[in-house]
Amino acid sequence: MGKTIHWKFTVILLIVGFMVAVQFNSMQKPEERDTRDIWAIRHELSTEKQYHSELLTEIRELDQTISTYKSLNDTNAGKALSETVDNLYKQAGMTTISGPGIILNVRPSAESVAFGVPITGISPDLLTRFVNELNRFKGISLEIDGKRFTTLSSIRDINGVTSVNGLHISTPPFTIKIITPTMEDSEKLYNFLSASTIRDDFYLDNLLLVIGKPEANIEIRGYKERFENQFLREIPKGE
Amino acid sequence: MWLPLLGLLVGISLGLLSDIQIPQIYGNYLSIAVLAALDTLFGGIRAHLQQVYDDKVFVSGFFFNIALAAALAFLGVHLGVDLYLAAVFAFGVRLFQNIAVIRRILIVKWTERSKVSQSNATE
Repeated sequence: MGKTIHWKFTVILLIVGFMVAVQFNSMQKPEERDTRDIWAIRHELSTEKQYHSELLTEIRELDQTISTYKSLNDTNAGKALSETVDNLYKQAGMTTISGPGIILNVRPSAESVAFGVPITGISPDLLTRFVNELNRFKGISLEIDGKRFTTLSSIRDINGVTSVNGLHISTPPFTIKIITPTMEDSEKLYNFLSASTIRDDFYLDNLLLVIGKPEANIEIRGYKERFENQFLREIPKGE
Repeated sequence: MWLPLLGLLVGISLGLLSDIQIPQIYGNYLSIAVLAALDTLFGGIRAHLQQVYDDKVFVSGFFFNIALAAALAFLGVHLGVDLYLAAVFAFGVRLFQNIAVIRRILIVKWTERSKVSQSNATE
């Protein structure tokens, strides 16, 4: 082979290699096109803005706590701390609280009673779906059949019986209590639930979700168990 | 011998590293161009082994084949007939033929060489 042939083969092979690699690239990870239209983008923007405002609210609350600490002198520091702890307990759902809200009733549908269908408990899937649906609303407190539902609560099937926080949910009828921050929110929640398809999901399981009118004062119990703390450790004083 | 291989490696790494992607609709054109390029390449190697290699034929064939294949695919898309399949078929058959010829030539060369070395050893 002469030198010119070498050279030409090299150039041609370089081109071939490049083409093969580009083709390989295009086949391996096809370019994902952005197919969102202006409304989809606006929608995403609005969710981000909501996050933004939520974060700002949180920051404001924390700032307030800091300023309380600063304004208090040493003698009152203990009080401020205990207030914060109380606040945290309340947030975690360990205290009994009362406020405006609605009471929901889950009971067997009239048809299933008429046909003599055996009444079974609510399934964990349905209950989870229901709680997810409710969680669209921010700041609500929830009690399912007398069991306080907190962020640490679980909905599980234990030996065939649906349980919340490890405690069995009784066979329908049972009640679900929801407390909202304001009466207005209660009305919103009432309207939302009345229009929601979640009732159809209940009906598929031969259950009826009866949504009560918003009430001014509902009381729900605190989470009775102690929180398990597996990972956080108290630092010895002076460190 | 090593320079062309180096060229191939450089080309592949360049293509992979530059992360160039071509849109899905042009994928057909590139794939057929790759096929045409490979065909020309093996044709060139065969011609070289048969001692009929010509620079101009090789280089012009390389670019002309690619252009023709892409044009055929383009025409096919606009006529609604998968004409690029014709190119795939033609190039595919030629590719196999070329490789078969190369293989035979190499086998003949190899057997001749071993015969020569044997005769050298007996002498």
